Amino acid sequence: MIKLNVNGQAKAVEVDPATPILWVVRENLGMTGTKFGCGIAQCGACTVHLDGKPVRSCSTPISVAEGKSITTIEGIAGEDGTLHRVQQAWIEAQVPQCGYCQSGQIMTATALLAKNPNPTDAQIDAAMAGNVCRCGMYNRIRQAIKAAAGQPVTKETVA
Amino acid sequence: MTPARTFACLSVFLLAACGADPAPEPVEQIIVRQPDTPPAAIAAAAVATAAPTSALIAEGKAAFANCSVCHAVAKGAPHGAGPNLFGIVGKPAGQAAGFAYSDALKTSGIIWTAAELDSFIAGPATKIPGTTMMAGPMADAAKRQAVIAFLESSDAS
Amino acid sequence: MSKTETGSPEKKGKWTRRAFIGAGVVAGSALVVGVAVRQGNPVNRLNPLLANGKDERLLNAWVKVDADNIVTAVIPHVEMGQGVYTALAQMLADEMDADWNRVRILEAPADMQYVSDSIARDFLAPDLEVPALFEPTVAGGILELAQAMGLQFTGGSYSVRATGQRAMRTAGAAAREMLVAAAASEWQVPAGEISTANSMITHARSGSSAPFSQFALAAAEQSLPARPTLKTPDKYTIMGQPKARHDIPEKVDGSAIFGIDANVPGMKYAAVKAPPVIGATVESMDASTAKTMPGVLQILNMGDFVAVVADGYWQAQQALSSIDTKYSKTEGDGLDQEAIFARYASHLDDAGEDGGDSETEEGDVAKGFADAAVKVEAEYKVPFLAHAAMEPMNCTAWVRDGKCDVWSGHQAPVKARQAAADAAGLPFEDVTYHNAYLGGGFGRRAQGDYIAMATRIAKATGYPVKMIWSREEDTAQDFYRPSATSRFRGGLDKDGRLVSWDNIHTHLFDPKDAPTVPYYKIASHKIRKVEVPMQLRFGPWRSVDHSQHGFFIESFVDELAHAAGKDGYAFRRELLADSPRHLKVLDTAAKMSGWDTPLPDKHGRGIALVPSFGSIVAQVAEVDMSGSKPKVTKVYVAADPGFVINPDGFTAQMESAIAYGLTAALYGDITLASGKVQQSNFHDYPMLRMGEMPAIEVALINGDHQHLGGGGEPGLPPIAPAVTNAIFAATGKRIRELPLAKHDFA
Repeated sequence: MIKLNVNGQAKAVEVDPATPILWVVRENLGMTGTKFGCGIAQCGACTVHLDGKPVRSCSTPISVAEGKSITTIEGIAGEDGTLHRVQQAWIEAQVPQCGYCQSGQIMTATALLAKNPNPTDAQIDAAMAGNVCRCGMYNRIRQAIKAAAGQPVTKETVA
Repeated sequence: MTPARTFACLSVFLLAACGADPAPEPVEQIIVRQPDTPPAAIAAAAVATAAPTSALIAEGKAAFANCSVCHAVAKGAPHGAGPNLFGIVGKPAGQAAGFAYSDALKTSGIIWTAAELDSFIAGPATKIPGTTMMAGPMADAAKRQAVIAFLESSDAS
Repeated sequence: MSKTETGSPEKKGKWTRRAFIGAGVVAGSALVVGVAVRQGNPVNRLNPLLANGKDERLLNAWVKVDADNIVTAVIPHVEMGQGVYTALAQMLADEMDADWNRVRILEAPADMQYVSDSIARDFLAPDLEVPALFEPTVAGGILELAQAMGLQFTGGSYSVRATGQRAMRTAGAAAREMLVAAAASEWQVPAGEISTANSMITHARSGSSAPFSQFALAAAEQSLPARPTLKTPDKYTIMGQPKARHDIPEKVDGSAIFGIDANVPGMKYAAVKAPPVIGATVESMDASTAKTMPGVLQILNMGDFVAVVADGYWQAQQALSSIDTKYSKTEGDGLDQEAIFARYASHLDDAGEDGGDSETEEGDVAKGFADAAVKVEAEYKVPFLAHAAMEPMNCTAWVRDGKCDVWSGHQAPVKARQAAADAAGLPFEDVTYHNAYLGGGFGRRAQGDYIAMATRIAKATGYPVKMIWSREEDTAQDFYRPSATSRFRGGLDKDGRLVSWDNIHTHLFDPKDAPTVPYYKIASHKIRKVEVPMQLRFGPWRSVDHSQHGFFIESFVDELAHAAGKDGYAFRRELLADSPRHLKVLDTAAKMSGWDTPLPDKHGRGIALVPSFGSIVAQVAEVDMSGSKPKVTKVYVAADPGFVINPDGFTAQMESAIAYGLTAALYGDITLASGKVQQSNFHDYPMLRMGEMPAIEVALINGDHQHLGGGGEPGLPPIAPAVTNAIFAATGKRIRELPLAKHDFA
């Protein structure tokens, strides 16, 4: 039995300790907001926080998470349901298209802003480099991160 | 748009649909074991979908009396404290117009198959934490099966 | 659209009622139409499915009004990020004068009761007049509707221009007129004096006012207006507005349910592997290790693939990778990419200057070349491409007691249902298909293969199974954008005007007009193709054949401009002399980019124009070639789709298409070695990432509000040639083969 803390709640699961966090979260805990994209930490769709740091849950065994806290996309809104400012910025900028990668994008972005509240373009590029968006909404993601950081927003895409 | 395009698309589209293999059975099937805990839900659903007897439906109708305090089943009847359950089997959860569902139910993504209904009735709050359905669990599997048969039957759909 | 010359024989000729119904049956489906409710109308049968409660009636198959004055638009398409729910609802709501804040959206069920050929039959019944928009080509319109809606197919950038324009608007306008007629009758006033706005009906003179809901029941008794009056653009209040997308909030908190998120009690998980050479079968498998691995329930040799079913997906995947599989020999075993291109070359060589299958020919091409002062020849090549949707193919199925339930994300839910029925060996009626959001479609999710596989596994096990493909499987078992070769000859007169054009290329799938350039003024031209076996399976890939022909054509036009000693923009302007809409788009893009202003050393601008799917798009790309690989810094886009329903949504589609097309231009390269696809995952089939995304500026032009073009695909074809033309401008190096990663720029 592996004891976990997921989104502030104590959980226990009976799984092989080598099982990636991704599948434990999705299948054993029934939280499907975290997505499977590549299985080899190349696309970032599975990003969750482990003690606040973004990790690729498809390639991180659950044993690593024992005694640490896991935060998933389901756990970043306030307790009263108020969306995280990054989520709000995502809606403002109308970021998602298919939406499949966005849980991972948002988890990486929230970790970035927690560590660096006022990132430069280069820092945003570096932090977000591990997250693929096949719908190509990178300009809107950048715009939303800046808005969430309280920076003046210059639209990368101008219409 | 040219007519050529329309036909081309259609033919590409149909080609794949018609070209489907006749679904070969497994060449080799190694059954290591059956699922550890075949959920009662599956068995219940299997029975429920296999032309339930009128006796079962009648039993379900009787068992539904408790539920009918909150739920109507007649077509077009207004919602009560709970939503009208007319034709509920096969519908997505939390979607009946004009009823204020909990967010938990509305966003559950559940399709009310017989199996889903069974596990829900077996423990509403366990299945969907946050549901505002007041009824407690219906522990009797046979009773649940009967209620679902009733909901699926022409008496209630 | 009025002619039906092409296509398969049984669809040739006039579309009679009988022929249409036949088509519906062939497709395993038929048509749903926007017919309003009236006595004896088949839509009455739809009421129980979509209308809830006695105070609510379907006004027609696409719209309903409930007691709370909520207008629900029933959308017969799937949402894969293109914003179709919102755009189509905008079209319906605007014509209806509905209050946008009280509009809800419902995806039409993939249900025979809803999508039934009997409704199609009734629609075509002689006593039912056809709304004006379906004319003058009822036959063509029906076909288009059958494709776009009856089959519930989402693709071909069809949704807005076909369903929206022909159906949603008509349905909205008809519903509005029925509501007005009901109010006029109740209030005893002329209908012409009644106005509608924000889901309210008002008669100013008498001071009467009521919400739509008050007259929903009475409206349902009104007869269908034969020709509902549609708005002219000056009356639009919702169309043309950048309305926020309905599907976005649930896509930022993890609650949106995609196919892979299906949750069926008691379901188990399957990992699968198909033979790496397409067409091979599984000869034998050694599962001795897999049998002993934790969580494993079943190991299946399905003939055309191997599956492991386990308690968890990871366990299934681990066990699968331990299985030693032998595959049958096929003709493709020894094939590699060079051999495929060599095969293309030999077919093209054999066709020569006059062979191949003619697609179009106009003027005296031979004389054109004989008289030409300058002749230019070039050959271009593009590779196979995989779709690489973020959500790998997956499907959950449960076959038991003569019934089948299937959960997935598919671009054509009715087709998915048919694929499941075939695989389960059950009648269509006994299959229930549950569609979810698509984590990217791009044409890949128009195929039925993954639905059939999951259904077969579930049938064999008897319990519900969620099958998920690994990324490796998704990459190796795709239906690919074809690799292709295209050869051109062009003739210029002594003034550098283009007088003759000869193109021959491999394959032609769809759209058939992709290789043609009717908007360019060329005295004589001929376009030909050769059909060459290409080993991998063809699949429509975002913008389909335009994805390669856009690159071929616009690269060659640039080469011709250079040969003529002219600027690429100026040369295209001459060619567009008789195409004012295209010219305006080209001019707009060039002007935005400051075409004539100088750029720093090793920087370049390139321009390209490609009309596709009814929309005209020009792009100017700026590249920085100072590093070891091209860096696209900025893309200026001008687009004329006729009329833009949702400017923000359309702009997002331009961004998305540029990213998708640029990914392919920079990196996309599926290659074969020994008959197998060599790429497997994002490390060897790379994707564009954040730091590589160019800034984008978009100008939208409403050039013809009566003929709408698509949005999802037309932004893609111009990007590759705009970039390679810019590379030429910056370096003098002409790129004739994609991807750019193949070339050395150091």
